Amino acid sequence: MSDTTDRVAVTLDDWPDDADSDEGVVINWFAREGASIDEGASLCEVQIDKVSVDVFAPTNGTLTEIVCGEDDEFAVGDTLAWIAP
Amino acid sequence: MSKQTQQIDRDLTMSRAMVEAIADEMRDNEEVFYMGEDVADYGGIFDSTEGLRDEFGYDRVMDVPISETAYLGAAVGAAQEGMRPIAELMFVDFFGVAMDQIYNQMAKNTYMSGGNVSVPMVLTAAVGGTYNDAAQHSQTLYGTFAHVPGMKVVVPSTAYDAKGLMHNAVRDDDPVVYMFHKRLMGIGWLPAPDGPKTPVPEEDYTIPFGSADIKREGEDATIVTLGLHVHRALDAAETLAEDGISAEVVDLRSLVPLDTETIVKSVEKTGNLVVVDEDYRSYGVTGEIVASVADESLAALDAVERVALPDVPIPYSRPLEQEVVPDAEDIAAAVERTQ
Repeated sequence: MSDTTDRVAVTLDDWPDDADSDEGVVINWFAREGASIDEGASLCEVQIDKVSVDVFAPTNGTLTEIVCGEDDEFAVGDTLAWIAP
Repeated sequence: MSKQTQQIDRDLTMSRAMVEAIADEMRDNEEVFYMGEDVADYGGIFDSTEGLRDEFGYDRVMDVPISETAYLGAAVGAAQEGMRPIAELMFVDFFGVAMDQIYNQMAKNTYMSGGNVSVPMVLTAAVGGTYNDAAQHSQTLYGTFAHVPGMKVVVPSTAYDAKGLMHNAVRDDDPVVYMFHKRLMGIGWLPAPDGPKTPVPEEDYTIPFGSADIKREGEDATIVTLGLHVHRALDAAETLAEDGISAEVVDLRSLVPLDTETIVKSVEKTGNLVVVDEDYRSYGVTGEIVASVADESLAALDAVERVALPDVPIPYSRPLEQEVVPDAEDIAAAVERTQ
């Protein structure tokens, strides 16, 4: 994973304060690999302790890779996808 | 899926597509408002109003007391006075406590007033089972609403259809019952099958009522269905194709008005009709569709199959519920019996 220089990780930055769990599951992706993305667009929906949270695009660009697909589990700080600005 | 075309980069769940249409109509017309149980702070227990309160506030997205008679009656009155209410039945099963407001007021006041008032409201209602919620929270009740004259009845099966049908429903000058299947909304705890999440254009568009959509073309049998069972029928068609049977899947999208023409045309091509319904078998959608085709084109019918819920209250038990609600295998078996 050395080619990370010009791509931006998509992560859930605002983990819900009241969540007991530090793991979540991806429920829905709203963008597919190869889609062009506007900063701030809702990319996917994740669920943590039965609460749904949207994950937003950190930058304009192309969604080059979805790392955590639908139904995949992830932990705090995990990269869910990559965007090439 | 013919009309959802090129270069749409985003997919939406059905709930988000519905909400997008409602929000768009609310921005456009200040007479549009939403009321129901847990629709404001909670965002609808099936996500039917998620985010609307944040944008429009409590005056236009109203949580109401638990009295369907009171708030559906209020919606009818507001509609007659020129507003465009959207009122939600949290579960369609609760219609009984407000039956007079729905059946006698909402549906008939235009006629009872000699055309002096219209009732431009939308009644949204969550329908369907498959998640162990037992007999009073799992019904689909298409037949109950489509039976009485005076209300249009629409049922989306995809996000694309959900948005276009909602725009059309809010703009309609007569009462529209908009029945959304819980299993199609895309909720985390109630996962949807593959299929209802589709590309959805950002701009508004309408899907006219009475326009059934051929979701898959085929030559050997016509499967007519709606809601969740569109996706189960598509699964069945996929399996049947491996055995060399080509099934056409017709998604009704609206029960009133009914697009008899598309159904008849398909049956005249295939000769075989399989009607699939999540509502009860007796006095319902399956009987009505078969009778409509028989009326129009009796000679076209070589074989007929009805796949519906048997006439029993829906069981709470998971294996028993799975037994009574038709699945893709039941649909495929019915199609095979017509061959």
